[in-house]
Amino acid sequence: MSNRYSDNAGPFPVTRADVLRGLTALAALPLLRALPVRAEVSASGDAPEMAVEEIAPGVFVHHGRYELQSPENLGDMANTAFIVGDDAVAVIDTSGTAIAGEAFRKRLREVTDKPIRYVINTHMHPDHVFGNAAFKQDNPEFVAHKNMKAGLSVRAETYLASSERMMGKEAMKGTEVILPTREIAEKETLDLGNRTLVLEPQQTAHTNNDLIITDEKTGTLFLGDLLFSRHIPTLDGSILGWLDLIEKFQDRKATRVVSGHGPISMTMPSSLDDEQRYWTVVADDIRKTIAENGTLEQAVKTAGYSEKDKWKLFDVYHRRNVTAAFAELEWE
Amino acid sequence: MPRQPKSRLGRKYLTSAALALFLAAGLAAPVPARADVDDWPMLHAAVFHNRDIIEGDGVVILDAPAQADDGALVPITVRVPPEVKGPLKSLTIVLDKNPVPVVAQLHFGPAAGEGGERRFSTRIRVDSFSHIRAVVETADGKLHMTKGFIAAAGGCAAMNAKDPTAEAEGMGKMIVKTFPPALDTTPIWQGQVMLKHPNFSGYQINPNTGELIEARFLEKMVVKRDGELVFTLDGTPSISANPNFRFTFGRGEHNDLDVTMTDTDGTVFQAQSKPSGS
Ligand SMILES: [Zn+2]
Repeated sequence: MSNRYSDNAGPFPVTRADVLRGLTALAALPLLRALPVRAEVSASGDAPEMAVEEIAPGVFVHHGRYELQSPENLGDMANTAFIVGDDAVAVIDTSGTAIAGEAFRKRLREVTDKPIRYVINTHMHPDHVFGNAAFKQDNPEFVAHKNMKAGLSVRAETYLASSERMMGKEAMKGTEVILPTREIAEKETLDLGNRTLVLEPQQTAHTNNDLIITDEKTGTLFLGDLLFSRHIPTLDGSILGWLDLIEKFQDRKATRVVSGHGPISMTMPSSLDDEQRYWTVVADDIRKTIAENGTLEQAVKTAGYSEKDKWKLFDVYHRRNVTAAFAELEWE
Repeated sequence: MPRQPKSRLGRKYLTSAALALFLAAGLAAPVPARADVDDWPMLHAAVFHNRDIIEGDGVVILDAPAQADDGALVPITVRVPPEVKGPLKSLTIVLDKNPVPVVAQLHFGPAAGEGGERRFSTRIRVDSFSHIRAVVETADGKLHMTKGFIAAAGGCAAMNAKDPTAEAEGMGKMIVKTFPPALDTTPIWQGQVMLKHPNFSGYQINPNTGELIEARFLEKMVVKRDGELVFTLDGTPSISANPNFRFTFGRGEHNDLDVTMTDTDGTVFQAQSKPSGS
């Protein structure tokens, strides 16, 4: 597994030194310039740093934290990225608040001033979409899986309320639900100028609106939350669909793959091994419970605990995963 | 989490078809809950007509998680220990802060059984941090209550269908199972009923129209063993999508369960368990 951050377990996955190195490397780019700090950003004194690393030429990724939403992290949990073409920029996921999204946008603007033509969301979860508001000023197309609009709409109030409960009103300043303006129903490409992104909507797995993106130029594959590593996977779609998809991904070629939560540059398909093992263990244990006429409560106490020490945030999400998986598998 | 009474969901809910249904069913009306208000006196009056309730006398035990992992799917179990003798009249489960505080009300029949621990389990939606109560009425007409507290949120507004397309395809699928006791002489059996049904709460938004989806939920369930009544259940949208019940019943000759469920659209779902011993 090639993983540049495998030794870094701190709350800030990318150190200041990394950032400076990244910026120095970028200084060669003719368009690099520092923009004045926007008023919205300075309103929040403690906006997250949202450091980025250039994992391949023109591909910049921010490593989200392995944490729950908190007033301190302002929803900076998911990996977010931007890709710079000759004419335009595409953003992939925007972090979990408008403030974090704005900090990420600021970082982007330190790299390039090309127009932000696309904001792509890999799926509907708040830690991936709640920073969208920061990009409204760029008037981009908001691109997502064709099922995302429905999924996010019905959950919008719940997401806003639970984010506010976890982070506080102040952290949610400016955050709003922005629905996709361009829906992806089948494989499609986006052009950034001498740079093509391939977008492929997926079957129900992590959610029913997972979209994966390939930067053809560098062979970089963005799996969104179809790939968790170190951070325990979370289920809001279908355990059977996800396991099936991992199987299908085995033959997929990519120079590198970016996870939704986990290291920002990994290899295919070995990066999928851990989550494949996790879901297999969870499914097997639940099926055993069901075969013995056991209940959901019993499964929640017993299924998948051999995975406990292998994941960050296991105690937070595992029981919920078992609950969702049980409700699916009991109908097999 | 304190509810926001001004939310358009809360306001619209009160005008929805569901309200009329609850009133007609004699169940408590959905009232916007506030975290700082004790709703129990209102519920005690509305649901139990202020009758005396004995609390914590051990007649009824409630197993519910203190912290729910998923507010849309919270497993609960109500137990009446073997020491409690005689038939039971009814069981009412109340969640103080839910938009529809009465989760379910059961009235037991002659096949409900006794002579062992009696149990009823289901999965419920929990919309905000709330007390949960199980109230059992014994044959002498006395009410016995136990209560717990659940921390969860978002269960009622959450669109439970993770994959609405797949969910819609399976709607109406029903499974009825019986589980014989380990010992033939045990007078109590267990049954399970599962129904594929969204149990729309009336709180969920139709993404295409922005309007609330009309409440459509399991209103009535009748469970019979060998033709004799185990219980009738009045349901509400506080029961999770894909309603799932586990319960005890008294041993009979064949121990075949016959279950009829009716939703608020008047659709009837019916299924039988496989003959026991097969
Ligand atoms: Zn996600």
